[in-house]
Amino acid sequence: MTALLSLDRVSKTFTQGRHEVRAVDDVSFDVRQGECLAIVGESGSGKSTIANMILGIYPPTAGTIAFKGEMLPAARTLAHRRAIQLVQQNPLSSLNPKRTVGASLRLPLDVHGLGERSARAARVGELLEEVGLPADYASRAPDALSGGQRQRVAIARALACQSDLVVLDEPTSALDVLVQARVLKLLNDLRKDRGLTYVFITHDLSVVRNIADRVAVFERGRLVELNPTETIFSDPHHPYTRRLIGAVPVVTADEVRLRDRLMENENERA
Amino acid sequence: MTAPTLLIRDLTLGFRGWAGQVDVLHGISLHIMKGERVALVGESGSGKSVTARIVLGLLQQLKTARIGGRVSFEGQDLSTLTERRRHALRGTRMSMIFQDPTSSLNPVYRIGAQFHEVLKRAEPGISQADARRKAQAALADVAIPDPARALDSYSFQLSGGMNQRVMIAMALANEPSLLIADEPGTALDVTVQAQTLSLMRDLVEKHRTSVLFISHNLGVVREFADRVYVIYKGRIVEQGRSADLFADPRHPYTRALLAAVPRITGGGIPEIDDVSDSYFAPMVVHEGCEEPGEAG
Ligand SMILES: Nc1ncnc2c1ncn2[C@@H]1O[C@H](COP(=O)(O)OP(=O)(O)OP(=O)(O)O)[C@@H](O)[C@H]1O
Ligand SMILES: Nc1ncnc2c1ncn2[C@@H]1O[C@H](COP(=O)(O)OP(=O)(O)OP(=O)(O)O)[C@@H](O)[C@H]1O
Ligand SMILES: [Mg+2]
Ligand SMILES: [Mg+2]
Repeated sequence: MTALLSLDRVSKTFTQGRHEVRAVDDVSFDVRQGECLAIVGESGSGKSTIANMILGIYPPTAGTIAFKGEMLPAARTLAHRRAIQLVQQNPLSSLNPKRTVGASLRLPLDVHGLGERSARAARVGELLEEVGLPADYASRAPDALSGGQRQRVAIARALACQSDLVVLDEPTSALDVLVQARVLKLLNDLRKDRGLTYVFITHDLSVVRNIADRVAVFERGRLVELNPTETIFSDPHHPYTRRLIGAVPVVTADEVRLRDRLMENENERA
Repeated sequence: MTAPTLLIRDLTLGFRGWAGQVDVLHGISLHIMKGERVALVGESGSGKSVTARIVLGLLQQLKTARIGGRVSFEGQDLSTLTERRRHALRGTRMSMIFQDPTSSLNPVYRIGAQFHEVLKRAEPGISQADARRKAQAALADVAIPDPARALDSYSFQLSGGMNQRVMIAMALANEPSLLIADEPGTALDVTVQAQTLSLMRDLVEKHRTSVLFISHNLGVVREFADRVYVIYKGRIVEQGRSADLFADPRHPYTRALLAAVPRITGGGIPEIDDVSDSYFAPMVVHEGCEEPGEAG
């Protein structure tokens, strides 16, 4: 399978007064065309920083990022900005508070000239309904929405662009599991129908188990394990991966058994 | 019997707009006893965060909001308090971890200065040095790896989960008697989440804090909460002790919700509708979990 996106020895260091933060430390991996690659790991381990570099919000301190075999420039073209979309970790700050939901969804359609002009208003309604919101929410301001409703608007906006790659940073953290299932189904369908590729950043390992093809595990800015989802959950290689899976809060007895089995292995190894 | 720390009775809420009023809460009743951990779970958009904001007295200021029913805190009807007394309660006896860190952390002040303000609410004369020492210890408690750096940072220089931990530390700092935690762990990895939950649990036990815990993470709720209320479209549909409710969910909405939790054992994304007429079935109350009588 060919790589849609390649990170090659990417690092990012932030200098903050007398503090220096190595947020991402010499990380390389490929994202394959049409896959869902999950990124999981420690809070503060550089996951959102990687997302921001993929989007060109800031450049890496070292290393390169290539998209469809070509190096991504620091200043992205309009075509790049359409091809790679981001759903930000924080849905409140990512929606313009002065714009209605409808205007926020309409903007990318206008900027990228997607669909007939006359059909765009209807398209906005469709996008809302696809994420389980009534079409008349288009007239609302973002601060008249619940956390999960905002998050769904942010997802709908990213999906509106008919992009190639969508980076989703904790996209379902404010959704109940029923609405989450609807959104994950939608993502899966778009992957099948349009060949969309996802980088799916999340702390929810149960979601990862059911949606990802491969999983990248981060700890303190470093990629410690990258394996097929099957392997990560049946035979995790890195001790940090085992610790993570061993700490997932679960609801069924089967899951408790899986967790206990992994922790037993971990204790034997230790 | 002492009054519950929090008692909500027949709470209604509507928002007036140009197209008429949209009703959001249709008569919510719930209570939390001293030292009790109570979870509010349910649909996205069902009214969890607005309920929390009403308890804190934050929604009352919004001109379009129409609020009915009663909210009492430690036996006192909150609507009888002046705005000044309400303000004095917030951040001291009652504190909240907001769902959205950016709405409560100010982007133009460093975390250290904001933490100092929080500590001043309970101890107006606290010195800069004492505040910094306390804040640093509080951040270490929530597993922030370099507390000194975090205090020197603006919120945009911290990760999502670090901001969330800062808020948790601030909310716990003044040892409130009621803690409202609105999705406190969404940006935390499972090991840090376990650590912050056990910190909260310790605090609750030590100071007999009451907690209203709002979360979509049913695994966490199962482990953390004593009792659970399930909410769907502005109505409580089921309530009971955690163990009973998870072992024997009785309302169609609760059942659907539990069946839709993705499993770490796999099996794919569950195929269950997020809308159904059956979700409007009457409320189910588990044995021994009725609301206290009108006398409170
Ligand atoms: N603009 C910035 N200036 C200084 N430090 C930063 C900046 N952005 C991020 N950092 C630091 O980089 C590290 C990684 O942050 P990042 O947001 O990538 O973590 P994350 O893996 O997304 O964590 P979470 O799961 O909590 O969201 C953190 O220590 C953070 O404080
Ligand atoms: N200012 C407002 N004007 C109109 N409607 C509002 C306003 N604020 C909230 N709402 C509506 O009230 C309902 C309840 O919102 P609330 O934020 O309490 O939901 P929630 O249960 O916290 O959901 P989530 O799990 O998604 O955070 C939502 O349907 C929302 O759209
Ligand atoms: Mg992040
Ligand atoms: Mg909410």
